[in-house]
Amino acid sequence: MDTVESPAASRQASSLSGPVRALLVVGLLYAFLIGVKLLEGGINGLGSDFTDALFQGVSNPLAGLFVGVLATVLVQSSSVTTATIVGLVGTGLVSVEHAVPMIMGANIGTTVTNTIVSLAHMRQSEEFKRAFTAATMHDFFNLMAVAALLPLEVITGVLSNTAKTITDAVAGDIGGGKFNSPIKGAVKWGAEQVESLFGWIDNEKAAAVVFLIVGIGLIFLTLTFITKNMRVLVAARIERSLNAALAKSGAVGIVVGMLVTIAVQSSSITTSILIPLVASGILLVRNAYPITLGANIGTTVTALIAALGIGEVDGLTIAVTHTIFNTVAILLIYPWPKIRYIPVTLAEKLAELALRRKSLALGYTLVSFVLIPLAGILILR
Amino acid sequence: MVMDFFRGGGQSTIEEVEKTLVEMMENAYVVYEEAMGAVFGGGKSKETKKHVKKTDKEINVAQQEVRRALVMHASVSPTTDIADTLAYMSVVKDVERVGDYSKNVYDLAKFGTDFTGAADFEELAEYRDKVGQLMEDATAVFAVRDEEGAQALINKADVFLDEYDDHVRTAFNSTGPASEAVARALYYRFLKRITAHVMNLMTALVAPIDRLDYYDEAKEDRVEP
Repeated sequence: MDTVESPAASRQASSLSGPVRALLVVGLLYAFLIGVKLLEGGINGLGSDFTDALFQGVSNPLAGLFVGVLATVLVQSSSVTTATIVGLVGTGLVSVEHAVPMIMGANIGTTVTNTIVSLAHMRQSEEFKRAFTAATMHDFFNLMAVAALLPLEVITGVLSNTAKTITDAVAGDIGGGKFNSPIKGAVKWGAEQVESLFGWIDNEKAAAVVFLIVGIGLIFLTLTFITKNMRVLVAARIERSLNAALAKSGAVGIVVGMLVTIAVQSSSITTSILIPLVASGILLVRNAYPITLGANIGTTVTALIAALGIGEVDGLTIAVTHTIFNTVAILLIYPWPKIRYIPVTLAEKLAELALRRKSLALGYTLVSFVLIPLAGILILR
Repeated sequence: MVMDFFRGGGQSTIEEVEKTLVEMMENAYVVYEEAMGAVFGGGKSKETKKHVKKTDKEINVAQQEVRRALVMHASVSPTTDIADTLAYMSVVKDVERVGDYSKNVYDLAKFGTDFTGAADFEELAEYRDKVGQLMEDATAVFAVRDEEGAQALINKADVFLDEYDDHVRTAFNSTGPASEAVARALYYRFLKRITAHVMNLMTALVAPIDRLDYYDEAKEDRVEP
């Protein structure tokens, strides 16, 4: 018997206890809100000339949509994009009207993660077919949702107006476009502490750029660590609830997907977890479908939290619009048997093609998530 | 169902898998006892056959549950418990085989084997008891993850493997009735397989991942833990 460790001996002990990890997540959430606040302060500090030029292009809804897609693909997290958009809307430099397409674009962009995860199964044909179907059905669903709701929103403003009505009823405007947020004061204090660290920067614009960078950095880092820690904290719950949803379809899956995503603060994590389960055949594509849709709703919670931190009515309105958009999309597509599985069928057909020619899968990912949005932005700006 | 998400505490997936493996071993022991009862005087009966089949099916269903749970665990927490996940994915097959070979012993009774009154009855019964005890001890050792106990059982059972081969050889060279020789050859063969798969289960507690699962190989082909 040598000294190599047996599985029993090598069982990993969690480096942090549950309560410590939970406290860490609370601290990270606070830092995340400070990040959003710093971003808001940084944008404001840059002055209207600069920011007007920067955001001029997004007045075109399609350009806004592509910005949302590309930004999310680059940071690999719709939570980061939507939290940033909430911060931008909070500054008043991006209107709710212009932010809605960006939020919708973030929804599309976030599906790139599980599509990339599915490419890892390429060597096993059947596995890959299932994995790629599971990944791209999310793409098709989100595209269908945007195709149906973006024109409607542009023409009628129905989503953002509904969100405004809800925001006014729930939060109320206490003047200056602000609402009473229980955590706003604490977040403001924290942001001021961080800003004071850079008090030595004399130039106002240079300081604004620093706040902007630190803000975005904080949002990105804190969300990454929140996701990592929450994943460890709730792993057993995720496994239990997904196990329970394995043989189920419909509402149960939607609720499970929503809960898991709220818990880990990332729809990419939820949908990426599903890929190996579908690839291995223990979860059917059609049972994974509602879980994926639930993740769309769950991911909107991050923007709602961000909006609470900055206490701006418009910021909250765009966050609520995101929730309404994803909920309405499900209500529009899922309850009706004739259209419910269109995204799944399209994904199956694409997977069939990708199976015959695997370069198509890579091409699809690159063209849909990078080249089209990039070309769209360049042309439409 | 959805409330599963809010259910706090409870066991981790790996602990639940360990519990299921113990239950599978207990069920395999039930099959073994019934099968041995049949070849040692009890004979075949519809009730025993039905119960043996039902219990074996439960073992197979549990094996699938374990595999699903482990894939789920690996998908949700890919880097956590990786050694246990891989080890249990491997040894769950061994536990299922313990049930299978125990069921095969019952098949001997189905073909008319009855060791009662045989000249070598004492010896046959001795091995029945030894393997039964090995299964019980292995289940107890695995339940508490007793690494020393597992190593001791591996050492003890390894001696049996050579003895089974001797008995199979004797049966092959026997000049007695073919039905008796075949029954003994199969009996010792099944006991050897049960012993080897129980030993494989024990390796999950003491051997590194790359050296699991070699006790169902001939000694010269085996990689010792």
